[in-house]
Amino acid sequence: MNNNILEAKNITKSFGNTHALKNVNFYLHKSKIHGLLGENGAGKSSLMNILSGIYQPENGSIYIDGIKVKKLNPDLAAKLGIGMVHQEFRLINNFTIKDNLTLSKSNIYTDDFNEAFKKYSDIFSLSAGSETLINQLSVGEKQKIEIMKLIFNNNKIMLLDEPTAVLTPQETNQLRISLKKLSEEDDKTIVLITHKLKEIQEFTESIFVLKDGVMVAEDLETKKVTKNDLITLMMGEVSQSEIRKDNQKGKDKLEVENIFFENIHSNVPTLENISLKVQAGEILGIAGVSGNGQVELANIISGIEREYKGKVIINGKNISNQGVKARKNLNLSYIPENRLGVGLAPGVSIIDNSAVKDYFKSRLGPHLSSNKMLDYLNILIKQFSIKAPDPKAEVSTLSGGNMQKLLMGRELISNPEVIIAAQPTRGLDINAVQSLHDLIVKQRDNGAAVMLISEDLDELFKLSDRIIVLYEGKIVKEFIIDEANIEGVGLAMAGLSE
Amino acid sequence: MNKYLLSKKIVVNELSTFYSFVIGLTIGIGIGSIILLAQGQNPVDVFSLMLRLSIGSVKSISSSLNKATPLILAGLGISIINSVKLWNIGAEGQIFMGGIALNFIYISTEVTNPNFSILLLLLASFVGGAVCILFPAISKVLFGVNEIITTLLFNYIVIGLTVYLVNGPWKDPNSLNFPAAAYVGKEVYLPTVFGRLSYGFIICFLCTLGVHYLKEKSVFGYELRISGGSALTAIYAGINAKQKAFVAMLIGGGLAGLAGGVELLSQTHRVSTGLSQGFGYTAIIVAAITGMRPFGIFLVGSLFGALTIGGSVIQTMGVSSYIADVIQATTLFGALIAQFFFTYKITKVTEDV
Amino acid sequence: MFDIQLMGLFNATLQAATLLFIAALGELITEKSGILNLGVEGMISVGAVTGFITAVNTGNIFISVLVGVFSAALFSSLHAFVTVVLKQDQTVSGLILTILGLSLSALMGKQYVGKKLPVKIESLVTIKEPTNIIEVLLSQNYIFFLSIILMISTAYMLKKTMFGRRLEAVGEDSRAADSMGLNVNKTQFIATCVGGGFSGLAGVYLTLSYVPYWTDNMTSGRGWIALALVIFGGWKPYRTAVGALLFGFLEALVPRLQTYGFELSPYLVKVTPYAITILILVVLTIYKGGRTGAPSNIGIPFFRESR
Repeated sequence: MNNNILEAKNITKSFGNTHALKNVNFYLHKSKIHGLLGENGAGKSSLMNILSGIYQPENGSIYIDGIKVKKLNPDLAAKLGIGMVHQEFRLINNFTIKDNLTLSKSNIYTDDFNEAFKKYSDIFSLSAGSETLINQLSVGEKQKIEIMKLIFNNNKIMLLDEPTAVLTPQETNQLRISLKKLSEEDDKTIVLITHKLKEIQEFTESIFVLKDGVMVAEDLETKKVTKNDLITLMMGEVSQSEIRKDNQKGKDKLEVENIFFENIHSNVPTLENISLKVQAGEILGIAGVSGNGQVELANIISGIEREYKGKVIINGKNISNQGVKARKNLNLSYIPENRLGVGLAPGVSIIDNSAVKDYFKSRLGPHLSSNKMLDYLNILIKQFSIKAPDPKAEVSTLSGGNMQKLLMGRELISNPEVIIAAQPTRGLDINAVQSLHDLIVKQRDNGAAVMLISEDLDELFKLSDRIIVLYEGKIVKEFIIDEANIEGVGLAMAGLSE
Repeated sequence: MNKYLLSKKIVVNELSTFYSFVIGLTIGIGIGSIILLAQGQNPVDVFSLMLRLSIGSVKSISSSLNKATPLILAGLGISIINSVKLWNIGAEGQIFMGGIALNFIYISTEVTNPNFSILLLLLASFVGGAVCILFPAISKVLFGVNEIITTLLFNYIVIGLTVYLVNGPWKDPNSLNFPAAAYVGKEVYLPTVFGRLSYGFIICFLCTLGVHYLKEKSVFGYELRISGGSALTAIYAGINAKQKAFVAMLIGGGLAGLAGGVELLSQTHRVSTGLSQGFGYTAIIVAAITGMRPFGIFLVGSLFGALTIGGSVIQTMGVSSYIADVIQATTLFGALIAQFFFTYKITKVTEDV
Repeated sequence: MFDIQLMGLFNATLQAATLLFIAALGELITEKSGILNLGVEGMISVGAVTGFITAVNTGNIFISVLVGVFSAALFSSLHAFVTVVLKQDQTVSGLILTILGLSLSALMGKQYVGKKLPVKIESLVTIKEPTNIIEVLLSQNYIFFLSIILMISTAYMLKKTMFGRRLEAVGEDSRAADSMGLNVNKTQFIATCVGGGFSGLAGVYLTLSYVPYWTDNMTSGRGWIALALVIFGGWKPYRTAVGALLFGFLEALVPRLQTYGFELSPYLVKVTPYAITILILVVLTIYKGGRTGAPSNIGIPFFRESR
């Protein structure tokens, strides 16, 4: 008898002209922890969205406990016991934890909510009470609530999409323990969807590998697979290039002195006594879990945030009291983490977005020359290999990788003196990541001072010369790259260093 | 069993707003015909009379375009304001304010040079419209107060002011049946061409060109587009989005005020409650349905002017003039529905065997 | 003498407030689900004219009320269809429906202008000139009491029932609500139609009790005030009722000012409710620092496939 609690056969799905999934097979053994491995863009999220009923496949069929399912929607999927925790949380911010757990139609803990909540709070080591509002929780806590949502909905099959992306190494370990308990004691079938090899190997018992929409490996036994096997399956024969760290460093191009910042809207951290320097030809990595002051620091340095104490000095010039235009004049470029929304304006065309940094150069008095703008865009397209067939199309029609290339190209083409890049490769596929890393290194070699803010420790270790860790708005530790290791940085990120 | 998927089209046909409008117009005429039939009228007779008397001669075309002028001007103003994703529901009030401001300057000054006076008066009407939108603009930009409600409520304030003025300080003793202000002197009437087509229409056409330029080709228009796309991107780019939005609102209000001024100097020649019959509201939808495109507003506005003239004329046949309003509203509604089919696509999903 | 005048003012206040409140409560429900319906003015008008026509032709109040409510709900289903199913812009759709509603009602009502109503909505107790508060309250008509019931049940529904909490969830974050298995489209569609029905009830109240006859432009902007009331009331039924009382008071006060010895032009005084609405709105928005209590998702069409 088939022990598979879920089977998906021949799943095909496209978005517009892109094929996200091609004839994919996927199956789950009851009460085991599975891994779905694949780089960004391989189709993992699409497959999971189909299994949880959010997307409909054009082709293929799904069986739960051996019985074929006709039309899957979130409601039915929940009834069948499938639940998913997304990368972007689907929690209602103004509502309480209790509301978010009990409003679903599939909630099984109606009368015994309090007992159930206590039981699972213990398993997840959650300290917040059930009447706490979601917007008062930390990112890690929100994730716990998301997983609890699945449990409260009696989901026997739990799909977790990149859960460790927002966690410190210590929280990741805690998650591993919680998930193990859930599968062994609560009989939950769990799927971990990720591009991180370490987590797949540490968390799972069975591995599936997706590459470019095709399932290249099914049900591998985790204990018997090596890291290299997985890398080859995931990415083909591409090996990650090492970055040469013999770069020459020059004078200080960016200096930040004694920054104090208080944000009136609560839940956003303040910055306390931040001082740092970045030299020409140097990459300074800023490590830290999202929400510890990185965005605020970047906004202050780039001139977006004006209400703060302290000094920002670029190439010796103190521009603390001035705004964005002053930075532009001194050739500072800022690549914000909010790609679509800050760096690029949604609802606005590609050509308009390409001119955001330097539109003044295309102007003749009050007139904006569209020819000049088009020329400028074409230069960007050529130099940065951006796939953008129609300049008048809305910018969000570009793929994530192309959007980031447009954004970075626009910011880097003037060979800036100082570059601030926040989460530049988030969510992108391996090829895009590689080319963007090369871009950054090229700028470094040209003499730029680069401040790289990233949650991806691998990325930080690969590119940085020094790493500074931000925790709750303070610099808690600084490492020179040769002396740094993941554990040490991880502890600092969690605020646990000496 | 077949399932249907809804997905958004990546590239939307440039002409889709035009096609949607044509479809909407067809629906509007269809609904209008049904209503006429229900009232015992022959739609063909009614519509051919409407056509003949609205565009069948130079005189009637002129009337139609004159009727369209304030609609187009108000619509242009609304389209500028919508660049930053804001709505001006106050065009109706701004039209009246334009008329009031014009009249105020007229009775406060002496006409020595008619041409100069006309320009001055039109400028006054522009300023009047801008003043009318000032409070909603400031409260929106500084405090984030919902501009839909504030501009809307201001309409009632200004109309109330108008009623007060024409029944009080500005009451014309010669106008017995209808409370209105005194007529302005003939020397400041806007001149006409072809016997009836007012210079106001020419002003309206020039404004169309101007607004098109402002929105598409100027730095200001670019900054508005970015601000409208995302306020955060604007801040990031060093654009003072609030300042741009404020200026855009003033210009938009001013254009609506200008609509009132032009209407006064070319058609009504005095301030009264009849200065606008809902143009301010219709203009919003005309602007929206054309995708906020100045030339689209110009064309659709002209068409609606003809419809309104046609509608007022068929009263002689015993048909209520409201039918024109119903046709206009149904046209716009039909166009809105048609838009859906151009922006979304429905695909069939097949099941695996 | 003074008592009767004061009670007359109170009576007029209650009546004006009832009218505004019912429409506002309906819009509150619609907006709670995330849909903005600017067509309230048109919907009141549709309910008003259909209710009036039915009353003149049948003489039956009960049927007239039903027809008015149902017609407005049907009319608002157009808005629901365009915004929920076709996902088009809610502002534009609402405005079109205002114009359509007003012109359609004018068209339908043309032959009924000046016609006399054979019946009126009954009051609980008929008191010609109430002299104290109790008498005023008792002399209100059935719709007044209905509105109180509606207010209490709506408030209860929103806060205490699963149905109400889910409605709020849809309006707060439709994607999260969808992933909870809630049917966003169905919720929004029904909430819009219910809101329209309430507007219809307000319209019926207008032509069968408050005024009571039919002319052009009867609604005179009350629909817009109802919209402002929703914001003023912070999307809470009881606060909205307070706001309705305030505006009802202003509306009742204006024609009485001259009797109290104020020598202001009636035209200018008529403008004060609108001006005060704006001021209160501004003050409220500033005071709340932008957090007015609006459903976070309002105005944004829900689309499951959006990436």
